Amino acid sequence: MLLHYAPGSAHSAAVRIVFAEKGIEPELRKLDMVHFEQHSSAYLAINCHGTVPLLEAEGRKLFESFAILEYLDETYPEPPLIGGDPRQRYIARKWGKYVETHIAPNLAIARWAALHGRMPAEAQAGLANLLPERCALWLRAIDGFDREQLAASTHAILAAGQRLAGDLANNPWLAGDAFTLGDAAVYPHVAQFETLGLPVPAAVAEWLRRVAARPSVQAIREDLFPVAVMGPEPGRWG
Amino acid sequence: MLEVHTWEPNANSGKPLFCLHEKGVPFTYRYVDMGAHEHHAPAFLAVNPDGTIPAIVHDGFTMTESTPAMEYIDEAFAGPALRPKDPFRRWQMRVLMRFMDNVVAPSLAMIASNRLAAPRFAGEDPDELRRKLDRIPLPERRSTWEKLMFQATPPDDIAESERRVSDAIRRFDGILSREEWLAGESFSLADICVFATFYGLPLAREDEVNDAASPHLMRWLRACHARPGLQAALKMGKGFVTQRAADVRQKLGVAEAAA
Ligand SMILES: N[C@@H](CCC(=O)N[C@@H](CS)C(=O)NCC(=O)O)C(=O)O
Ligand SMILES: N[C@@H](CCC(=O)N[C@@H](CS)C(=O)NCC(=O)O)C(=O)O
Repeated sequence: MLLHYAPGSAHSAAVRIVFAEKGIEPELRKLDMVHFEQHSSAYLAINCHGTVPLLEAEGRKLFESFAILEYLDETYPEPPLIGGDPRQRYIARKWGKYVETHIAPNLAIARWAALHGRMPAEAQAGLANLLPERCALWLRAIDGFDREQLAASTHAILAAGQRLAGDLANNPWLAGDAFTLGDAAVYPHVAQFETLGLPVPAAVAEWLRRVAARPSVQAIREDLFPVAVMGPEPGRWG
Repeated sequence: MLEVHTWEPNANSGKPLFCLHEKGVPFTYRYVDMGAHEHHAPAFLAVNPDGTIPAIVHDGFTMTESTPAMEYIDEAFAGPALRPKDPFRRWQMRVLMRFMDNVVAPSLAMIASNRLAAPRFAGEDPDELRRKLDRIPLPERRSTWEKLMFQATPPDDIAESERRVSDAIRRFDGILSREEWLAGESFSLADICVFATFYGLPLAREDEVNDAASPHLMRWLRACHARPGLQAALKMGKGFVTQRAADVRQKLGVAEAAA
């Protein structure tokens, strides 16, 4: 197995955490997002979305990180990480979805503003090779997101913090008494909040410390910094 | 006890209905009239404070994300398995459902609601509309309803949604030219997820969804419409969806298939 990943990519970090939890070391290919290597024609030939991570396994190319996490959990069942019963599994999957629809897209926008993101002219030439929706998102970023979008994204991130606190009120982990793929998927994104000046409720701060203490997370902690790149596209209709 | 609070057998609202009928699981259908904005009224908000449908309540456990809820239904109840066994096939199923939920279904919803719902608000008292908006809990939903109520969806956004839906139609037709079902050799949740918004396309997008332009998608639509489970779910509607589905079956020549 070969994992294409980038330091600073929260979605990549989730996959590496799960590999470590399973005690498996895939071959790694590192991309440099600071220099937009994910938009190079060599990488686009492997993944037309121009995003990381991408996992090559059994001659196939797998993208979409939460689906990769489930693939790994089903292929390497020990220790099981999707949750011990259907309820836990529902909650883990609910978070796997929420991170894509609400957390990551808004974090990318808030992060771009906070870090004064910019794309050098030579990298902008590569935009023409992206899929139309990725190109459009990057053009919006280069123009700068408007005040209304920034306010909506900040609001969504604060709301996500409250929602996380709700599920953590009586539990150490998001889906209850066991660490699941839900925690692995959400953690690397929320771990960036405080660096970017986005506050989290106390229950979330405690959970962040609990996740950070896991050896699987310790092993990649140097790669958990924020980089000014886009994430999944924000929802276009609700 | 299993209760499904939802509107018609359509889109997200319909996913649990299709899924439960395919598995043959009995449940109580609590109809939420979306046309009358019942999903933003206190009775429903007590079940789902987000004010989105469906809400599925099983022995006190409430689920409001329809795709993860379909996996729950497949795991928690007996009946035919609706997920392939092979991890790679499951990956395909899940990626397709994610694409459907995050890209295709919202595009279709934007197109359909601008065509069907937006005109109904024209001429209504703006203050009354504002009061309706104020009852919507999620800000991202409030903003879509605001666009509908005040005819403010940018035409470019609708054009982009059209592009994405046409693209998805071509993509699914391609998959179905190689595979019997969307995630391979067996019918799965991916088929339900797509069928829930695609069942009406032979009428709604006749120019693209027909035997000449998308033969493989048409073969799949016939196979889905002929399934007794999906048909039974479509018959549960109280509004136009059930009639629409009957018209589509007629058009596809599968009217009697599961009668
Ligand atoms: N839905 C994808 C999202 C992946 C994604 O957004 N990755 C970010 C980094 S965390 C990326 O590659 N951004 C670079 C870009 O858009 O150029 C997944 O879950 O894998
Ligand atoms: N995340 C939920 C969303 C459900 C959803 O969008 N439901 C639509 C009906 S298909 C809805 O509630 N629309 C009414 C509204 O937004 O006010 C899911 O995937 O199940």
